Amino acid sequence: MASITLNIDGQAVTAESGQTVLEAARAAGIYIPTLCYHPDLPPAGQCRLCLVEITGFRGLVTACTTEATDGMEVRTDTPEIEHLRRLTVELLLAEHPSDCLTCSANLSCDLQKLAAELGVDRIRFRRTTRSLPLDDSNPFFVRDPNKCILCGRCVQTCRELQGVGAVDFVERGYATLIEPSRGMPLGDSDCESCGECVVRCPTGALAKRDRRQPTRRVTTICPYCGTGCSLVLGIKGSEIVSVEGDRESPVNHGRLCVKGRFGQDFVNSTDRLTTPLIKRDGNFVEATWDEALDLVARRFAEYKGDAFGALSSSRCTNEENYLVQKFARAVMQSNSVDNCARLCHAPTVTGLGQAFGMGGGTNPLADVEGAECLFVIGSNATSAHPVAGAILRAAARRVPLIVADPRKIALVKEAELHLPLRPGTDVALLMGMARVIVDQGLHDAEFLAQRCENLDAFREALADFDLDRVEEITGVPQNDIVRAALTYATRKPALIIYSLGITEHSHGTDNVLGLANLALLTGNVGKPSAGVMPMRGQNNVQGACDMGAGPGAFPGYQSVADDELRAKFERHWGCSLPPEPGRPEVEMIQAALEGKTQALYCVGVDPAFTVADATRVQEALRACEFLVFQDIFLNGSAEFADVVLPGASYAEKDGTFTNLERRVQRVRKAIEPIGDSRPDWLITCQIAQRMGASGFDFDDPSQVLDEIGQLMPSFAGISFDRLDDGGIQWPCPGPDHPGTPRLHVEKFNTPSGKGRLSALAYRPPAEHADDDYPFTLTTGRNLYHFHLAMTCRVPGLMAIYPEEEIMINPADADELGIRTGDRVAVSSRRGRLIAKARVTDMVAPKGSYMSFHFYDTPTNVLTQQALDPVAKTPEYKVTAIRIEKADNGG
Amino acid sequence: MTIPELRTQAAAKVQAMQSGPNPIIWLGLATCGLAAGAGDLADAVQDELEQMGVEAHVLPTGCIGTCYLEPLMDIQKPGRPRICYAEATPDKARVILRSYLAHDDPRADLAAGTLGEGEIAGIPRFFDLPMLKPQVRIATRNLGLINPEDIDHYLAEGGYEGLHQALELGPQAVVEEVSKSGLRGRGGAGFPTGRKWQLARQADGSPKYLVCNADEGDPGAFMDRSVLEGDPHSVLEGMLIAAYAIGASEGYVYVRSEYPLAIKRLAVALKQMRDYGLLGDDILGSGFSFHIRIKEGAGAFVCGEETALIASIEGRRGMPNPRPPFPATAGLWGKPTNINNVETLANVPVILGRGAEWFAGRGTERSKGTKTFALTGKVKRSGLIEVPMGMTLGDVIFSIGGGILDGRKFKAVQTGGPSGGCLPARLANLPIDYEALAEAGSIMGSGGLVVLDENTCIVDMARYFLSFTQRESCGKCPPCRLGTKQMLAILEDFCEGGGSEEDVALLEDLAKAVKAGSLCGLGQSAPNPVLSTLRYFRDEYDAHIRGKRCPAAVCWGLFRAPCEHTCPAGVNVPIYVGQTAAGEFDKALATIKHTMPFAAVCGRVCHHPCEVRCLRAQIDDPVAVCALKRFAADYMMAQKDRPAVTPPPPNGHQAAVVGGGPAGLTAAWELARRGYRVRLYEALPALGGMLAVGIPEYRLPRDILQREIDDILAMGVEAQTGVRVGRDISWQDVLAGDHDAVFLAVGAWRGAELGIPGEQLPGVLQAIDFLRDVSLGKESVALAGKRVAVVGGGNAAIDAARTALRLGAEDVHLLYRRTRDEMPAQPEEIEEALHEGVQLHCLMAPSRIAGKDRVEGIECARMRLSGFDDSGRRRPVPSDEADYTVAVDHVILAVGQQVEAPPDVPVQRDRSGRIVVDPDTLQTSLAGVYAGGDAVSGPATVIEAIAHGQRAARIIDNRVRGIPVDAELLEDEHPAPPEDAEIPEHPRVPLPQLPVDRRTSSFAEVALCYSAEAAVEEAGRCLRCHLGEQAALEDETPD
Repeated sequence: MASITLNIDGQAVTAESGQTVLEAARAAGIYIPTLCYHPDLPPAGQCRLCLVEITGFRGLVTACTTEATDGMEVRTDTPEIEHLRRLTVELLLAEHPSDCLTCSANLSCDLQKLAAELGVDRIRFRRTTRSLPLDDSNPFFVRDPNKCILCGRCVQTCRELQGVGAVDFVERGYATLIEPSRGMPLGDSDCESCGECVVRCPTGALAKRDRRQPTRRVTTICPYCGTGCSLVLGIKGSEIVSVEGDRESPVNHGRLCVKGRFGQDFVNSTDRLTTPLIKRDGNFVEATWDEALDLVARRFAEYKGDAFGALSSSRCTNEENYLVQKFARAVMQSNSVDNCARLCHAPTVTGLGQAFGMGGGTNPLADVEGAECLFVIGSNATSAHPVAGAILRAAARRVPLIVADPRKIALVKEAELHLPLRPGTDVALLMGMARVIVDQGLHDAEFLAQRCENLDAFREALADFDLDRVEEITGVPQNDIVRAALTYATRKPALIIYSLGITEHSHGTDNVLGLANLALLTGNVGKPSAGVMPMRGQNNVQGACDMGAGPGAFPGYQSVADDELRAKFERHWGCSLPPEPGRPEVEMIQAALEGKTQALYCVGVDPAFTVADATRVQEALRACEFLVFQDIFLNGSAEFADVVLPGASYAEKDGTFTNLERRVQRVRKAIEPIGDSRPDWLITCQIAQRMGASGFDFDDPSQVLDEIGQLMPSFAGISFDRLDDGGIQWPCPGPDHPGTPRLHVEKFNTPSGKGRLSALAYRPPAEHADDDYPFTLTTGRNLYHFHLAMTCRVPGLMAIYPEEEIMINPADADELGIRTGDRVAVSSRRGRLIAKARVTDMVAPKGSYMSFHFYDTPTNVLTQQALDPVAKTPEYKVTAIRIEKADNGG
Repeated sequence: MTIPELRTQAAAKVQAMQSGPNPIIWLGLATCGLAAGAGDLADAVQDELEQMGVEAHVLPTGCIGTCYLEPLMDIQKPGRPRICYAEATPDKARVILRSYLAHDDPRADLAAGTLGEGEIAGIPRFFDLPMLKPQVRIATRNLGLINPEDIDHYLAEGGYEGLHQALELGPQAVVEEVSKSGLRGRGGAGFPTGRKWQLARQADGSPKYLVCNADEGDPGAFMDRSVLEGDPHSVLEGMLIAAYAIGASEGYVYVRSEYPLAIKRLAVALKQMRDYGLLGDDILGSGFSFHIRIKEGAGAFVCGEETALIASIEGRRGMPNPRPPFPATAGLWGKPTNINNVETLANVPVILGRGAEWFAGRGTERSKGTKTFALTGKVKRSGLIEVPMGMTLGDVIFSIGGGILDGRKFKAVQTGGPSGGCLPARLANLPIDYEALAEAGSIMGSGGLVVLDENTCIVDMARYFLSFTQRESCGKCPPCRLGTKQMLAILEDFCEGGGSEEDVALLEDLAKAVKAGSLCGLGQSAPNPVLSTLRYFRDEYDAHIRGKRCPAAVCWGLFRAPCEHTCPAGVNVPIYVGQTAAGEFDKALATIKHTMPFAAVCGRVCHHPCEVRCLRAQIDDPVAVCALKRFAADYMMAQKDRPAVTPPPPNGHQAAVVGGGPAGLTAAWELARRGYRVRLYEALPALGGMLAVGIPEYRLPRDILQREIDDILAMGVEAQTGVRVGRDISWQDVLAGDHDAVFLAVGAWRGAELGIPGEQLPGVLQAIDFLRDVSLGKESVALAGKRVAVVGGGNAAIDAARTALRLGAEDVHLLYRRTRDEMPAQPEEIEEALHEGVQLHCLMAPSRIAGKDRVEGIECARMRLSGFDDSGRRRPVPSDEADYTVAVDHVILAVGQQVEAPPDVPVQRDRSGRIVVDPDTLQTSLAGVYAGGDAVSGPATVIEAIAHGQRAARIIDNRVRGIPVDAELLEDEHPAPPEDAEIPEHPRVPLPQLPVDRRTSSFAEVALCYSAEAAVEEAGRCLRCHLGEQAALEDETPD
């Protein structure tokens, strides 16, 4: 960037071109007061405190909105300006309540600080303090309009940063206020409770309810979604009393969502498991660790080999996942280890692995910024990955956003184009788009020639996807398919963002391949802001997969069937290892029903409620001979266990998580484990040790990571002490390697080094709506919840979203005589439940939607276990159901 | 088709209609016409035509601008000029239709004027009417003349010629032509339109937008609405030309949703344009494409601001954003955008059609062309006007507006709407020009022009306008949202009787800060009404804050009733009027006499400012306060058992009063009744001063005066007449006496001279001397059979003229250099004088008194009225007409009076001889010596002299008591008002008058007294606003 020189108050100041006068002045240490300015927000010029005099400009201008130019003469300190500043602050003070001593913002209040800075020591004006009612409808923070100075930061934060627009200015003149949308209390407005406005409020107008002050702070990674936001836990004693976004984080830059900021109460929940439990005569009784571990070690020893299965948690650290799979393989001699990715992003691993040679997202999240086109498919990012969602929402105001989703998700509002495809018809849509691109000659011929393979077969496969057929299958008008294809192919660089709407299908791998096709076809991969980004569901889905918590591969996707690789692990682990791949999760369940899998070690998973066709899963769990559950809560699946081991939460242990951009980040212990709970890595090690295994004598998770680095080339350069500055994106092959923000820049990781186009055929979803089950249900996450056990222990989140809802289109609701709030009976070929109806046109006619966050409404009794043939992921996204009005809540 | 072809075709269509067999009836069906009842008129016209069986074209037309004449109906018979009928009620319209259409009688008596070619006997040309003649109609060229819903009418009048020329010239040449014309933005700020277009033309980005700003938000402004309703194509053609020039392909008309008729007519016009190929893709094959959409605004004032308007079109809350970036580079949807207001665009076709030079030939050096204004407020002829830039404000108000309603005084004019400035009457000569208005502290604005009269309180007006801008602030920036709120609070305090000097400083500080610190034009201009009134009307602020008075009697927080408040002596008018209404005449008189001693005198000669402010005047006539005062006095005087005046016990203090006029007598009375021993010295042989020897007996009978003076003396005042201090008794004796205080009230007794040749001739008299001599019975003034000229226009001139008549003068000529409208004498006095036979010669300025040894005649230059003087009155200047000589034997000069205090008075005097006093204490340069009356103020009214005397006495008393001078010690009794009674609905009960034939032969009193019944009736008309029930009547808005 070019350097310019301007003169501020007689001082020569060097600035970068494009900087504002305010930025230039501040960089040079020249004080200009502000109230509405915030570095995260576009300058508004409305508080009028940064007025300066610039030679050649008429009147005074705001430093925050005026671009600095070379040779500019600026004065910030004339008597007129100083008088104006003081008078403006005086005006604000005259209407501001003078209850500083009891105000939550006392000593951190910008207005208070400014008054001191400017020397406003009296108020000449009439007091005009307002006495408007407090808005305490939000469970996490309180809005006091009387303390609002109308700086507009909250409005800008909500609109520009979050893309929500839940608050805005209303009324005019002195009566002007900032109010939630539609004139409702915050609690009933569009507010998503992210609290970003609270963070930026310069006064006490927006204040957290919990005003306890921490005595120390620990920076760690959020345990919710795969975005991997860095957060700062404020600790008092053994309790988390505050949460702040980490402004230094390259991922979230200080931003958090409602769960990240306000959803950490589960850690200190009184429901936490604090002691091991052993089931005796059908009831759990408390046990000592020795009793429990001895029992587990003794019983597990009976099931070595094929009868043993382990389910590891993508909420646990990399180190813990590594240890679980090592335990399964080395100690239990079984490759039947899996993690929750099986239920979500396994097709990403298989699909992207097949097309690009590596099952990770290709780009960093920051690349959204430079993209010229965003294609979001099957990803309700604003609910499932809210911080990433907000970044997308904001970007959509700049560049075209294409949203393909059966539902009118929040992003649709920002989108240039919405493709409301029928659930399960993604391959048709994607191949249709590819066909348009090829037909119109918009493909990147050079890229295809030099870096891709299998083009001919691919071209041939396209023949099946003429637009008439594609329209018929997907229900998306041809024109829109063409527009989407043209936009994606011509507005480069283009980024594809997808999530479980793509993967949770009986053809999830094909779906991922379809996306890879588009990226390869247009050369949109291996470049800045061009690529394919899976939005990983849980905090460490990426990591759990990377760590080998899957049946077919050792850590780093090193196949168990590969003799050479297996030999390496045998050498390191000092044991022989089984060469046959084990069972993936759903097959383990099937095997349990068949009596083949007899013992299960479940770490931080809740299969009885999260795996499709839950009734069947529960039968399978019952059928197991020995079941160990290790978790922080007595979760819904634990009732089937023989032994329950209390794990420690993320806040109580060290380790690493890997986010959706392959960024390995440090999880830091903030408090001691609650009660008698122990970190999961330690428990796994202790079981192994009691079983006489070596290679589990770690003092510290850093040693585990070091071992991982020795075995996994892409982690070779990663160790705890390198992770303090924002983490490292793998592959990181050596201690001096900076990590790899973008994959496939030079070549693909496939054997040939080329990206592989896939000749896909359309396969309809496994289940269809019919006369008996006329609705198609898709399931997914809700903004305020995260699976089951954690968020239902956060009272504030439960206050906002207390129970399961099923979305029904107004036309259908009319026909069925259902109104929002009614109880409806929902049944599929597998199960039935009662839920509250929400009538909304967010779902299409004959569509419906549910989350799966409540034990009393176990959505997965409805879903089916039709699996993707490669990834073995169930088809959560397409379930044929019937909806009936329930009588009297029955 | 080409544009010329379209025009030829249209002209033929219109011509065919006009020359066809059927008459055309034009109805002024703009919003203003409809508000005045044009809807009913239209129904009546249709009905009448049906009844008559006449076929006619009934067409709507727009607002021709003469709002005060609405509703308007024009009738155009084939081959005849179109006749415009004003104030056409349904009944009147039926009469006109029958007589003109059935009997070919155009009823010239009912016609306002003719339009178009040709003449009709007895009917003036409409555009020759005084309101229209000075106007130049460019933006409003077709208003009221064409059917706004028919594009052919517009085309037939030369419409789209501008576009035709523009397409011939090419875009850059169009920009240059507009630059050359000097056209500046008519929306307010006056930015050169050509330069604005050039910026938008040069800006990178596509598409470009062209927005017509029709968000006319000023209260009382309706220029844009009228143009859109009356001639939408002129604006749309302007948009096409502008879009072509800057390269815009998309256009918006941003119009308030409160303008449904404008929106409808725009929609009709847009459709017709599309039908004719004048809008859309490839307009008339030119390759130029342009689309226009109508965007309705929700009516927020701030949306007139460009960036707020853009936000509003984009569907966001209408809030301004800082500039730069300017809309020209990043406007609507971030694209280059040019925004012009309605009037600017309406001018554009004419500039292109007739050429830049033609346009630039109008207006001033810096401000070219014309400007439309919504002329409203206290002006006789309100309406929509268009005048050349450079016309003075005074000319607009007086020549076009016809001056102030009800003959009241012109006080100020608010230009530029609520965020404009308030300019005082003395700036009447200010030319309308962007810079001139800005230098005077106002703005052109979009063209609101609110005329304010003497009944407008300036502080209240500033408060009103600020309350508007405060309400309309978008609330975004603290200076505007909070600063205006604080300013408003201060002004409200002032209006409610609160506030201090420091508040004025604070107000000024705030006003400047809001102006300098606000984000957009709304805040930057909102303080204008305050700053301009602080600049020009500081005295009125002082009156509120220091004097706790609202001179215009508007701010109810400062008084109980306007009449009482307006009375300089503070007579408790509502109480005695109420007592009169209740028949308690004795109490009524006691109430008056509680405040001052001259009930019978003031009941006759007071100029009764109380009546000017009377709220009853808003219904019909003010209550006859003055006559009721007289009634109470006269009625009680006639009673036999009148209570005797008894002096109070002495308080041991003494005072001397020099001068036995109303000021001196009042002070003496006031002091005496507080127990002072008062000595009064009067140089003339009689007491009463001007009351006795200045006001003729037919207005104030001597016995009446004497009885009130007797009552004063009865209070214990020791008066010595015929004693001139300084001659008969030394000043030292008076001042060195054992008085606690001395009050000087020596009057103003020297007549002013004209300074023309012949003034020294025998036969030339000063009115003041003449009247005194007549009063004192001197023989020097035998006028029987003589011809007399009286020079002047004040009350003294009228008194002299009427006295001369009564002395038997054969001809009495009253010569005045301005017109009757400007005469300072009381209108009823002028009226009576003319009744009695005084011959009034206006616009006559004596230049020489002719005669050898004595007066033979008076030569006068004929004058005409030109610009305005500091008081806002027209100034006379010599006209081109020949001089005029009146042959007379006597000339009586009544052109002013001066103070002629004896030269040895040992107090400081100013250059004109007036005694200098501290305005707060009335104390002269000598301690213990106070002064008041005409000697201090110069010639003033009786009631003001009384007020001075009253005040002096109170100050002296308070000083003696050692308490603050402004303390009110005499307890002000407020007798309970009489019980509620019906308030009669009829106008003022007429006052009986002496028949004219019995007047000139004697000095008998002309005005007679109410009977008791009449007085009760008249007093009952009082609205009793002092009881706090004025709210319903109070006129909140200054217009």
